[in-house]
Amino acid sequence: MTDQADLLAQFSNALATRAEAAKNAIVAIRLAHERHITGMVWRSEIVVVSEQSLPRKDDFELIAAGGSVLTAKIAGRDPGTNIAILRLAESIASPSIAAGEAHTGAVALAIGADGTGGASARLGLVNLAGAEWHSSRGGLIDRRIVLDLRLARREEGGPVFDAAGACLGMSTFGPRGQVIVIPTATIERIVPLLLKDGRIARGWLGVALQAVAVPDALRETADQSSGLMVMSVVQDGPAAQAGIVAGDIILSVDGTSTHRFRKIARYFGPDSIGRKADLRLIRSGTVITVQTTIAERHAA
Amino acid sequence: MSDAASKLAPTGRLRVAVYAVDLLRRTALSRVVAEAGHIVVGAQDAADVVLADGDCLPGEARPVVTLGGADYDLPGVLSRDAGASQIDAAIRAVSAGLIVRLPDGMDAGFGAMRETGGHALLTPREIEVLATLAEGMTNKAIARRLNISLHTVKFHVESLFRKLGARTRTEAVAKASERRRYETITL
Repeated sequence: MTDQADLLAQFSNALATRAEAAKNAIVAIRLAHERHITGMVWRSEIVVVSEQSLPRKDDFELIAAGGSVLTAKIAGRDPGTNIAILRLAESIASPSIAAGEAHTGAVALAIGADGTGGASARLGLVNLAGAEWHSSRGGLIDRRIVLDLRLARREEGGPVFDAAGACLGMSTFGPRGQVIVIPTATIERIVPLLLKDGRIARGWLGVALQAVAVPDALRETADQSSGLMVMSVVQDGPAAQAGIVAGDIILSVDGTSTHRFRKIARYFGPDSIGRKADLRLIRSGTVITVQTTIAERHAA
Repeated sequence: MSDAASKLAPTGRLRVAVYAVDLLRRTALSRVVAEAGHIVVGAQDAADVVLADGDCLPGEARPVVTLGGADYDLPGVLSRDAGASQIDAAIRAVSAGLIVRLPDGMDAGFGAMRETGGHALLTPREIEVLATLAEGMTNKAIARRLNISLHTVKFHVESLFRKLGARTRTEAVAKASERRRYETITL
């Protein structure tokens, strides 16, 4: 028997009720070797998944609330924000998702799929709620949300709720096993774009670049202490067509210095495609300018 | 290596195809594989196992060990900075039909773009010297290869050790490989 006046019992009951209700907000996505990961039911026919953990294939088998097996096809993936979406062959009941605002120190309930149609739950705090950030894969995430809880691999990709039952976003693994949240605002922004095109368009030159120190002798002419050295050039890509070769050190793209990664990643956003860009670069000890036309990046 | 010759490979030695876009990584990984007693074969040759730096090419039919790849359906999944003993153990296990996984939450994960301003970047010449270190070349051989004096080679190697905070050549190659993750961008 639970004493309804006891705060701890009330707290516990409230959590158990939430976890039970969250069953309808998740699916298990079957992987090989009897494993699975979790997906968030976003709309009656759309499931949101952690891109980094989703195998590169087109067809998936899902287990929904109660254990029913569904099929789904990949509808889009964006490594930049770690969001992938699957389209279900048939619609299922979808809970309404209210976007929640993360506050440092607030309670967070992370839900995963148990693989048989039920939910698993994790309780922790919002360890940190910070500003927007850029991922190493070039995407913009609306807020940095770090959770103070552990997550199993199979639970990654599930929804994270606040105390009011609003959805903070999708759980995923950051560096060194840290559990982070891709905010609901980011999912709301990316899903319509993925539904439309299957991907997030990004500008492309067809080069792999490494940050290097500009050699002392050239620092004055370059007027910059670092640049991006061309390590490889994709055959027939825009850079190759403009005559860019391995060893060139790119100093700026259309006046945007290559000194800061974030700035240059932002320059190559969707609106850069088709734009003519002047590359200022060092080749065999001289600074020259080469014009290229930015193309669209194909799926990795 | 021809098929006839590879069939004669003694037991315990595996034919390993190393797949890495980055030349420095490919050289370093091939060295790890060879030092563990295996035979490095060409990417398209018959192989017992493929060792892929990150994601391998789609449609790969041979068993794959990925280092930091996103595809968790592959038989072998290690982190990007797995050590020589983990790599050796994983390719042996996968070729024997086992699957290899890290404990939960041990690998890279979805992280932020880091700026490179915090530490001294390498110069183009130092990157060239580093590639020769990865091949295990002596200072004399490096001087011949790059057509510079032995004195200049020593100067660059010392500068590399200082910038990377390394005490040995192997450590320099490993640290540079780790740093390169944050210092490269594809456009």
